[in-house]
Amino acid sequence: MSVHNSINTGKPITVTIDGKVCKSTFGKTILQIARENDIYIPTMCYLSKVQPIGSCRMCVVNVEGVDGMILSCQEKAVDGAVITTNNSALFHERQNIMKLYDVNHPLECGVCDKSGECDLQNKTMEFDVDTQEFTARDQHRPVENWGHVSYDPALCIMCEKCVRVSTEITGDEALKVKFGGYGSTIINVKQEKNYASLGEAAAVCPVGALVSTAFKYTSNAWELTKIPSACPHCGGGCQMYYEVKRDRIYRVTNEFEFSTLCGAGRFGFDYANEGVSKDPAAFNAAVEAFKNADSVVFAPQISNEEAMILQKLKEKYGFKLVSHEARAYQKFMAAYSTVTGKHLYNGDLKTLSDSQAVIVLGIRINNDSPTVKYHINMASKWQRARVIYMHPMEDSEIQNIVTQFIKYEVGSEEGVAALLAHTLLEGNEDVTKTLREYLDDLDIGNLSAECNVGEEELDALKKSLLKKRGFSLVVGSDLYMHPRAEQIAKLVALLETYAGFNVICVPPAGNAMGVSLICDLDDSAEGKTVGYNVKGDFTLSALGDGDLDMPALNQQEGTLTTVDKRVVPMHVALPYGGYVLNDIANALGIHAKYTIDYTPMLPVAKGFKKTVFDALDEYFDATGTEHRGYLLASQKVPVKRTLDEIEEIEAFDGAVVYRCDPVEQFSPFTAKSTLLKDEPVMLGSTQFAAAAKLQDGDTITFEIDGISFERLFKIDTEMKGTIALNPTFDMGLSASLLSSYRFSRLVFRKTNNENIGNNDE
Amino acid sequence: MSRVVFSTWRDEFVDNRGKPSDQWSESGFKLPETYDGDTKSKAFIGWDGVAIFDEDIDAVELASQYAAQYQEYSEACGRCAPGRWGGRILYDLLDKIARGEGTHDDVAHLKEVSETMMATSKCEIGKTVPKPILDLMEHYKEQFDTCIDAQQPSKHYGGDTSYIAKVTAPCTDMCPAHVDIPAYIEGVRDMIFTDSLAATRQTMPLAHTCGRVCPHPCEDACRRANLDEPISIMELKRLGADYETDHALPWQHPFEVQPPRNDGKKVAIIGAGPAGLTAAYYLGIQGIHVDIFEELPVNGGEVAVGVPEYRMPVDKYNKDIQLVLDLPTVHIHNNHRVDAERLKEIDAEYDATLLAFGTRLSKKVRAANENPKMKGYWGAIAMLDKVNLWNKYGIGSPASNELKDKVVVCVGGGFTSMDVVRCSIREGAKKVIMLYRRDEKTIIRNTTYEEYHEAVEEGVEFIFHSAIEEIFDDGEKITKLKVNRFELVPDPDGGRPQLKKIEGADFEIECDYLIPAVSQSADLQLLPEEWNIELTSWNTILTNGRDFMSSRPGLFAAGDCEYGPMTIVNAVGQARRAASVISRYIYDGKVSLTDEEIMEDHLNKLKVYDKNEKITGWMPGLPRAVSEKLSVEERKTNNKEVNLGFTGEEAIAEAERCMRCYYISMVAV
Repeated sequence: MSVHNSINTGKPITVTIDGKVCKSTFGKTILQIARENDIYIPTMCYLSKVQPIGSCRMCVVNVEGVDGMILSCQEKAVDGAVITTNNSALFHERQNIMKLYDVNHPLECGVCDKSGECDLQNKTMEFDVDTQEFTARDQHRPVENWGHVSYDPALCIMCEKCVRVSTEITGDEALKVKFGGYGSTIINVKQEKNYASLGEAAAVCPVGALVSTAFKYTSNAWELTKIPSACPHCGGGCQMYYEVKRDRIYRVTNEFEFSTLCGAGRFGFDYANEGVSKDPAAFNAAVEAFKNADSVVFAPQISNEEAMILQKLKEKYGFKLVSHEARAYQKFMAAYSTVTGKHLYNGDLKTLSDSQAVIVLGIRINNDSPTVKYHINMASKWQRARVIYMHPMEDSEIQNIVTQFIKYEVGSEEGVAALLAHTLLEGNEDVTKTLREYLDDLDIGNLSAECNVGEEELDALKKSLLKKRGFSLVVGSDLYMHPRAEQIAKLVALLETYAGFNVICVPPAGNAMGVSLICDLDDSAEGKTVGYNVKGDFTLSALGDGDLDMPALNQQEGTLTTVDKRVVPMHVALPYGGYVLNDIANALGIHAKYTIDYTPMLPVAKGFKKTVFDALDEYFDATGTEHRGYLLASQKVPVKRTLDEIEEIEAFDGAVVYRCDPVEQFSPFTAKSTLLKDEPVMLGSTQFAAAAKLQDGDTITFEIDGISFERLFKIDTEMKGTIALNPTFDMGLSASLLSSYRFSRLVFRKTNNENIGNNDE
Repeated sequence: MSRVVFSTWRDEFVDNRGKPSDQWSESGFKLPETYDGDTKSKAFIGWDGVAIFDEDIDAVELASQYAAQYQEYSEACGRCAPGRWGGRILYDLLDKIARGEGTHDDVAHLKEVSETMMATSKCEIGKTVPKPILDLMEHYKEQFDTCIDAQQPSKHYGGDTSYIAKVTAPCTDMCPAHVDIPAYIEGVRDMIFTDSLAATRQTMPLAHTCGRVCPHPCEDACRRANLDEPISIMELKRLGADYETDHALPWQHPFEVQPPRNDGKKVAIIGAGPAGLTAAYYLGIQGIHVDIFEELPVNGGEVAVGVPEYRMPVDKYNKDIQLVLDLPTVHIHNNHRVDAERLKEIDAEYDATLLAFGTRLSKKVRAANENPKMKGYWGAIAMLDKVNLWNKYGIGSPASNELKDKVVVCVGGGFTSMDVVRCSIREGAKKVIMLYRRDEKTIIRNTTYEEYHEAVEEGVEFIFHSAIEEIFDDGEKITKLKVNRFELVPDPDGGRPQLKKIEGADFEIECDYLIPAVSQSADLQLLPEEWNIELTSWNTILTNGRDFMSSRPGLFAAGDCEYGPMTIVNAVGQARRAASVISRYIYDGKVSLTDEEIMEDHLNKLKVYDKNEKITGWMPGLPRAVSEKLSVEERKTNNKEVNLGFTGEEAIAEAERCMRCYYISMVAV
């Protein structure tokens, strides 16, 4: 059956723009085709990554045979159209629009943060507006401080880019247009949330109206050096620039036209290990420690090249190499690939944003991976995607995106994955006979009861996918650390192989994906340990609290591997005076002049290329195509589709905690960033408090994986259920020692001062 | 035709200034010469020109007040550079001149700003506001010059003239419920679906329903049709409602729900169909106590028991219903049949009563030997009741018990008959025939293109230009029909072509069921005889069609019982107006309209849509989006919703085709 396409998108068309014959496809706007062909049309409100806004009217063009001026940013080009992008009449109207924009715009460029990179300045010059011939009565419009960002309505030109970003991209839906003619303004309807994602809304502001509060009045734009890099926090590897002056990062910016940066990327930049000088004694001790180490344990906040160095050291010295989350992910993906026959998942973010249906399983997506959440939001807004969120905890922050929440029992992920495979492969004729038998033999009634997922919920899920095209499945860390992770991986992989799903197995935070591909990891440490950003018998730390200092990731050259399966470069934003891992490797007989000498040595068998670091691209072209580093090549893996019986589900009764950081926190490095001020509190619902016999304000201590936590408990009235959120970002060198399933039973002791001695909970 | 001093309305030019009154020429348009009752209009100004009724008009103040109204109407502006700044500058400069502080340079700037607004504004309001202002500046130039040269205020500046304005759009005007269509489409374009829904619910609480089964008269007044094809207005409405349902959001009310007034005032509504629900919503949201009396155990009236599930899924309709019933001051009493005695009690107990019941008596086909008691003779309303009560609520028994493998003949031509034949297919009938007196084109006009074609696809056989002459039975049940055929004979006098029977073309159809769906009438037995309620010639309750009060004070009527069997959107529009009138009546005992409503009626009379207008500034040839439907095989044996709705891409593309034809008009009184 032909695919329903009532608006003929994709049909080849030919148009003529300013005399140039341009071939393209129907569905693209005149402006898009012009840009594909390097033809300039001025705009003030156009933002490539969102749908056309159409507020500025600067992009008007003439089309032969059509009366009036046509809005090129919004109007799709029709076959055969002959378009003129510039003539004196068009120039005159554009000039008049700039005159209107300039009416009453405060002449405070001297103190405006945007000066020097301001679209209003640029276009005022471009259109020769040097006098103001008319005016309008001005209105009093005070500056508003919204936390991370501040808004000056007097400077605002109401282009609505920020609102579009907030709606279509980040999905925080905090910014709205308050209609009111001349008095219309942008409002923040969720001020109390102080969303860091509004940093992106500020980034797209063409004038100085929406700015970073912390950056305001600190520097002129032109004094800052832009250092291109990639964000190391969540594993998204988003494009970013550190903007630096005199060895200080003033702010982080990005190629906002095409890519997006979350609040952690934008505001979590000042975590460098500063003021370090070379300490030869400590260095020698480190070299000795490596020689004597039985195990090296490390956190995933590490570059591909450093991971490569550790792998080489392991190969030479034979120690165990341990990184818990990366190891879990590695095993998950190994099992996954036995079903798909490919070493990587097939999904990517672009396909995700084009999906009409998205299933999210085993990940608290809003916290774990902002960039993936943004792409789900894009699918929700642009494709009206059905978003089925399967998790033991509801998340009110994504209610605007989720169309069906399926709550399952903690620990029942294997059963849920089996139910999902059973539901979505029903009637699928491509599945093998053995697999069909396996699926038919599943005791659905029992699984449904055990997981607490009703068959009617699965029916509703299936019904909502009816006639949809473009399916994505996003899975995450709840599955990787699950005792039955490998079996779950295979069940999930069935949907990639047989049901046409675009599957993304979101890597854990940091560069866990790169580590999992580069290092031959071991399950657990033994004997004498060297820890890298992890507490060990000898500790290397970029947090500045170890036995030997190391550079933080914004002080290093190297590459990261991203959720989009891309290898992207990072550059040095701030100098570092101490020793680096490569120095230790050299002392241990693994020789390379620079860390980045390892870039072309990353394992080709895992999809890396032999490209040298300095040859890696770092740009987006005019049509928005990403040229950053390179995409990992998919490698074939032997297929072995054997599935086990579903294990009985372990019951998690009573109060349970879920390891989960606040939205823009991922590690001790984001925790160190002064602009991200999150309290490391345990958050639970009223129901949780009752179940655990806790009160808001209680302090408790408990242990997970041998790590002790002391937490202030707070009630979050937006939460439901008997699971509380327990953050780890404040746990410093212990954070990466956690290795078990993300949910755990809460066995705690109250340590409130007033309660000491009378609490036996 | 209107008597005007001066008019530039819609390309006409009438200038009677200085002429003796017997030589005055008239305007060809129904302009609001009289505002309301005895109140005369001094001028009318709007998107298409200006008309002056009073020779002593202050043209400068009129122009500046029109610009001021444009500033006021925030919902439609402030979203593009030319409109936002240009509109403000227009007003500031005009007011400066009107105050007596203007210069001739200001006039030049006004013209320049006007041109930019007209060329590049985002919506029609920005493009059209300068037009009548420029007209006034040209034709009443001496008034402007006097203000500037003498530096004196305009002749009645700050005087006692009132200016009453209203924003409309051709689609909004044509919609019986006057839904702010450009606003809900803009909500889709902005992907802020909650705003879209709230815009719809300002005047239309049944967003799910009218996003699915409205015959969309608005689309006949869509300016986009002047360029290529009309916007798919109706289907875009559904997005907001679906969004609220899909994301389990709290009700998106268009205004804040007012706390219960608890002032002893209360309104009774008879019937929980579209009209009753609508009136209850707009009364309830104001905190007014409402009791709805519904005869059936289920809510929703004819849309619930008449419109089939495959067109209007009941779980979606129930959302619309629940929106209303969740209001704290709205209460429903089911299984509560109101007869004349009960109506007298209600009338005595309540401060106002709204009759909002439907037309549920099937009319006869008027054939020989027509016996409604004969087995096989099944009125459309009764038949659809049975189908829907079973399929939607599990009440009764399946109609397939009767219809499976049977031959069904339906006589009709409207929505009800379409529902009958398509339901018959779904209930397993062997053969389904629709007899219709007129032709294919007319049946499409009476229903929709989609409805007719989907019925054909599903296997319904349409026999046009046909009518039953005689019904045959075997004493127990209907056996066959004798059918006449007709042809259209042009009227030699140029009138409507007449249907003429073709002699010798009669034929017979053997059948098991005859389902008449020719029309329905209201069951008026509940009206106490002694009230002598005035009725229309087609036996519905008579009102003036503006305030919806019947001949008995305090007794109102809206929807099918007032109009006759008509559309959902018509019932909604009437009921909303009735609710507005009732909300004042219960306090002051007077029947009154708001300025907004008076203007609404004026504009409706004037006609907002101009099908001959040439559209500029938009790219022609962008295809109208068509939502995907279930294929015949996927739908004809079940009650799954046929229309899958727009994909996101289609919805956005369709919303971007909307030209936002907002217009502002203003009367000076």
